[in-house]
Amino acid sequence: MLSFLYARQSGLDDPVRLRRAESTRRVLSLELNHNRDVDRIHGNGINTLDIEVIDGRYMLSGGSDGVIVIYDLENNSKKPQYTCKAICTVGRSSRHVHKFSVETVQWYPHDTGMFVSSSFDKTMKVWDTETLKPAEEFQFDGNVYCHHMSPVARKHSLVAVGTKDPKVQLCDLKSGSRIHILQGHRGEILSVRWSPRYDHILATASTDSRVHIWDVRRASGSLFTLDQHNGDKSKTSSEAVNTAHNGRVNGLCFTADGLHLLTTGTDDRMRLWNSATGENTLVNYGKVVNESRKGLKFTVSRGCSPEFVFVPCGSSVAVYGLHSGELITMLRGHYNNVDCCEFHPDYQELYSGGKDCNILAWVPVLRQPDIEDEETNSKRVKQSETFF
Amino acid sequence: MNRKRALIADTFCLTKRRRCAADSVTGESQDIRSSLQYLVTLFSRKLFNDSLPPVVLKHQLYSLHNDKTSVDKQVNELRETGELLMFQLGFDSEAFALVFAEDYRAKVLQGEAGRGTLGTVEKFLTKLIPSCSDLSFNKEKMLKEFLFTDSEITQLVKSGVLTVRDAGSWWLSIPNSGKFIKYFIKGRFLTLETHAVVVRVNIWALFLTGRKAVLGMVKKSKYGEILQTELEGRRTTSQVKFQMKYHIHDIIGAELVECIQTTSGTLLRYVDGNVN
Repeated sequence: MLSFLYARQSGLDDPVRLRRAESTRRVLSLELNHNRDVDRIHGNGINTLDIEVIDGRYMLSGGSDGVIVIYDLENNSKKPQYTCKAICTVGRSSRHVHKFSVETVQWYPHDTGMFVSSSFDKTMKVWDTETLKPAEEFQFDGNVYCHHMSPVARKHSLVAVGTKDPKVQLCDLKSGSRIHILQGHRGEILSVRWSPRYDHILATASTDSRVHIWDVRRASGSLFTLDQHNGDKSKTSSEAVNTAHNGRVNGLCFTADGLHLLTTGTDDRMRLWNSATGENTLVNYGKVVNESRKGLKFTVSRGCSPEFVFVPCGSSVAVYGLHSGELITMLRGHYNNVDCCEFHPDYQELYSGGKDCNILAWVPVLRQPDIEDEETNSKRVKQSETFF
Repeated sequence: MNRKRALIADTFCLTKRRRCAADSVTGESQDIRSSLQYLVTLFSRKLFNDSLPPVVLKHQLYSLHNDKTSVDKQVNELRETGELLMFQLGFDSEAFALVFAEDYRAKVLQGEAGRGTLGTVEKFLTKLIPSCSDLSFNKEKMLKEFLFTDSEITQLVKSGVLTVRDAGSWWLSIPNSGKFIKYFIKGRFLTLETHAVVVRVNIWALFLTGRKAVLGMVKKSKYGEILQTELEGRRTTSQVKFQMKYHIHDIIGAELVECIQTTSGTLLRYVDGNVN
């Protein structure tokens, strides 16, 4: 570590390199911390988490009971022991609450005045954060599994929605219209993701084992389908040609630069694809246990030198090196299945939520402070004594 | 070392690793070929009356080397140069069998010696081995690229080098792998009657019963875990036809058991949720 600092000081290295080195070191030492807690509001499992992009301060969570909670992640107290408080809730008593389980929540990418939630009650609601009332409600024919708004789009405000219907629907927030449909899948759409690099590229994953990449500006079908054998038709039986996985594809995640796409499937495999050409990079992560019947929400780190993938695997979160495929560690702490996880890029923290109704915060383990001053140390000791 | 190219994570000490008492077989060597040769010695030739070339499963290599991606890459390189042949196995879409090309050629020709189909098979092998690394062939390819006639294709299927995949395409396969005969002997304690029941099975069906028996041994141990050295020393039941070490590499590589390094050696713990 000192070598990085010295190199930065003397100008041998770019400033970015020191930042990446420290981020990587922090991610490698993620641990469950008894100082950091998240308020327990949900009475049923937590399906989805989202941290807003602008400040990284507020986190949304959606649960199986239809409840949506907003937490404040910032630690304003001077003490190390901190519980992330729930600022407001759309609880069961609210008139506008979802009737069934909330599957996906997402903050509006440009400010925190608005967020969108979709649920198994076949609706997608656009909420005003101030009043906690829905400003708009979209009705669908089948359960809504997932939705996503493009994080970089300035010219359009389309929300891509994946439902039980094999057609991907695009809802426009500016006009409220839903006429744009993407046809091509033959099964339920379990996951949709916009690319963080281009505002017109969309990836969708479905139970028919296929992943399509779309350009929404085109009138005809998808750009291409991801093929796990890279066109080598001899490797597999004839029915399984041109599929991304040998089972349902239920998780999609772009890397932060948008150049690669990760997919997970119920064949217990995770694959890394080049998002421009659709080529399978053939990185072998081994067996990534996946028994989820709905979408799986996983995430990739940002700002580290070898990037890391955090995947919920049963009741723990597995951390893999993105390009090497190596299993770095398993984060154990939940009592039941983990459904979602979200990475906080500024502090390199991981929040994960699962069926045990807990949201756990995985915080990098910091070194103990050195004893510089006898006086300040004794003050610190007095403070920590007051907690017990 | 070029500073700009070095991975940042390499400079940091990763997770704590306990020193294990016995190192793995290959230690630090990254050579796939030597691992393949070691696994080939574990395959019991005598069991099949020497009619099969020694077969290794691709995921057995994952138990000897840490980096799965580089194992895959090296295996593909060996296939490109024509040293190694890969076959699709019926029981799992991800399980592949590897055979050295010279062994395959020798055994096939040995099996075909004296039969009418020898010429066709030789022609097929010369076309296949140096250049082609496909697992299956469709009719177009056989007729146009390889210039075989329909009757020649029938001869190849009869000799066992090709098996039917669907209408108009064939898998590459190992001859004599379906002809193995399994004897069941049923007897009664009081009388001396014995019935010999003869069943024709595929070699991979035998392999799967052996794998299930070995996994059962791990599962039934106290706490569902057993030291690898202890498992190797156990007597094999009649269900297990292959060598114990062959099966152990298979279950570790297929991630059916979890491998934990302890101070007394490697511990194998049964993983719940297995289909097999």
